[in-house]
Amino acid sequence: MSLSFSRAAHLRPRRSLSGLIATLAVAASALLAPSVQAESKTLDTAFGPITVKPDPQRIVTLDEGALDTVLALGLKPVGSLAARGGTELPNYLQSIAKDVAIVGTTREPNLEAILSQRPDLILAPPGLEKRVYDILSKMAPTVVSDVPVTAPWAERNALYAKALGKEAEMAERVAQVEARIAALRERIEPGQSFSIVRWNPQGPLAMSSHLITGQILTQLGLQSTQVASELGERPHSDILSLENLGSVDADWMFIATLNAQGEATLAAARQQPAFNRLNAVRNDRAVTVDGQVWSSGTGVLAAERILDDVERILAK
Amino acid sequence: MSKMSARVPVRRAALGCAALVGLLMLASMLFGAGNLTLLESFQALLGHGSEENLFIVHELRGPRTLLAVLVGIALGAAGTVMQAATRNPLAEPGLLGVSAGASFAVVLAIYFGADTVGMHFGISVLGALAGCFLVLLTTQMRGAGADPVRLVLAGAAFSSILIAITTLILLHDQRTADEIRFWVIGALGGRPASNLQWAFPGLLIGLLIVGFTAAALAALSLGEKVAQGLGHRPAYTRILAMTGVAVLVGTATAAAGPIVFAGLIVPYFARRLVGPDVRRALPIAMLIGPVVLLLSDILSRLAVRPYELPIGVVTACIGAPVLIAVVRNQRLPRL
Repeated sequence: MSLSFSRAAHLRPRRSLSGLIATLAVAASALLAPSVQAESKTLDTAFGPITVKPDPQRIVTLDEGALDTVLALGLKPVGSLAARGGTELPNYLQSIAKDVAIVGTTREPNLEAILSQRPDLILAPPGLEKRVYDILSKMAPTVVSDVPVTAPWAERNALYAKALGKEAEMAERVAQVEARIAALRERIEPGQSFSIVRWNPQGPLAMSSHLITGQILTQLGLQSTQVASELGERPHSDILSLENLGSVDADWMFIATLNAQGEATLAAARQQPAFNRLNAVRNDRAVTVDGQVWSSGTGVLAAERILDDVERILAK
Repeated sequence: MSKMSARVPVRRAALGCAALVGLLMLASMLFGAGNLTLLESFQALLGHGSEENLFIVHELRGPRTLLAVLVGIALGAAGTVMQAATRNPLAEPGLLGVSAGASFAVVLAIYFGADTVGMHFGISVLGALAGCFLVLLTTQMRGAGADPVRLVLAGAAFSSILIAITTLILLHDQRTADEIRFWVIGALGGRPASNLQWAFPGLLIGLLIVGFTAAALAALSLGEKVAQGLGHRPAYTRILAMTGVAVLVGTATAAAGPIVFAGLIVPYFARRLVGPDVRRALPIAMLIGPVVLLLSDILSRLAVRPYELPIGVVTACIGAPVLIAVVRNQRLPRL
């Protein structure tokens, strides 16, 4: 920590020099063409208002939703974090995000790796520590969202889109997804219940129905289990007792696995007699899905992947 | 030893403890995190009620009750014998890193691709053996052997090293993270029923070994010289006893994960009941072990319904005060 801090300090003179040049340039352009100045804008972030320059070239994303948003808007970050439970970017984004440097894990962003990417914009998750923010904001304008993961999914990444200066494009992408949801809703039998769980040998974790996946499934006319809808702002429950496994039973049970070992997880779960008794399992409606999308994904691209899965599994 | 004056005859203590084990086994079948009332649980126990209720009582609570008894016997016996062999009232498989060694060996095996349940038992026992011999080596070191607290410190250091390496593995390969988490947290619920088949022979072998050393360990408590004079070989006795401990702890860890403090609490209460002689304390510890495990497991189910606590949290809550009580006791007895 102290090492990366000293490197940040070491870099500061250079940055302030380039900052000075930038300021002079802005001042000069302001004198010549006053309209250009309007492009730099101020954002309300979790750590107060910050000013971001237009057209960022070296974006670092430290949030799954931010990465999804940057890619959905046709940009590419220079650095991002490894997916939860993995050492690379989330599987569902890998094909469109080649050559993005990994600058740490969700638990521990590597400050030196971030600095070495020389970012001009950092998109960081809600709940970022002040201590880390202070260091990051010395490297580049750092946009920290304060929208919780349980907020309506289209709002969740709005601040990131704004920071990228692409609010109109984002609205268009969201509208496309909304239209697809409306179309798919017609092909799904209404009123079926669903639950999304992460399996653990001692018992499952129920994922909140207020996350993006639950929101979309609800929009599609499905109904959440009580245990998942009562979680409020918590993203998931604690480990449920096997005695209460029935509370996550539903017409459809989606088992989110974080490391693309869905089959192994399902096989392990099947060793547990309590699991085999569930209606969803008996009716062969317990399905494994990619947890990087279903339990920690958030954004337009994640939404599209969820809709792909739902269409494949549920649609008539 | 005046505190021990209120000793109870072994037979009476054994009867009392056995009755308590029976009662707690019944309670373990009746109480749980599920939505059953006490009456429904009782009816299900007798074979009446809905299929769901029957399943919860017979298929979920039944095996974990048996597992609690088996693991309780193993940890109670292991703790008692370990304390006698190291002549240290703080010696405990969990505190000295033997459980950590066992679960670490399993973690390592999983990392290198092992996945058969049967293999885990063998590996777990090997890991426990390594931990046990490290403890024996530590007791031979100058200073550490004579000071009960230093041995615990050495155990804490050993555990920390293993935790550090486990963290390293998790960082290096997050794929195994979920599987590994299962092995580094002690819990009785959700263990495959086949664990019982494996745990039973392991427990039996371990008990045979430690039972065989009981007389020699009792002589050892009189001092090395006296034990030698009585025809025992202290080094041989210690190695054999610790091998037995390793089999017991390895079995318990493979069956239920590392459960800290159980091996400390049980012999403590056993000695308070029948005195420090390992030949009397051992059978009583084998009854108090299930009492502690059953009680902790029942509490772990009821504390945060409808969720469950890891049992290690409960045993630590009971065990930590006992550890402090033993350390604060001015006449920390040499065993």
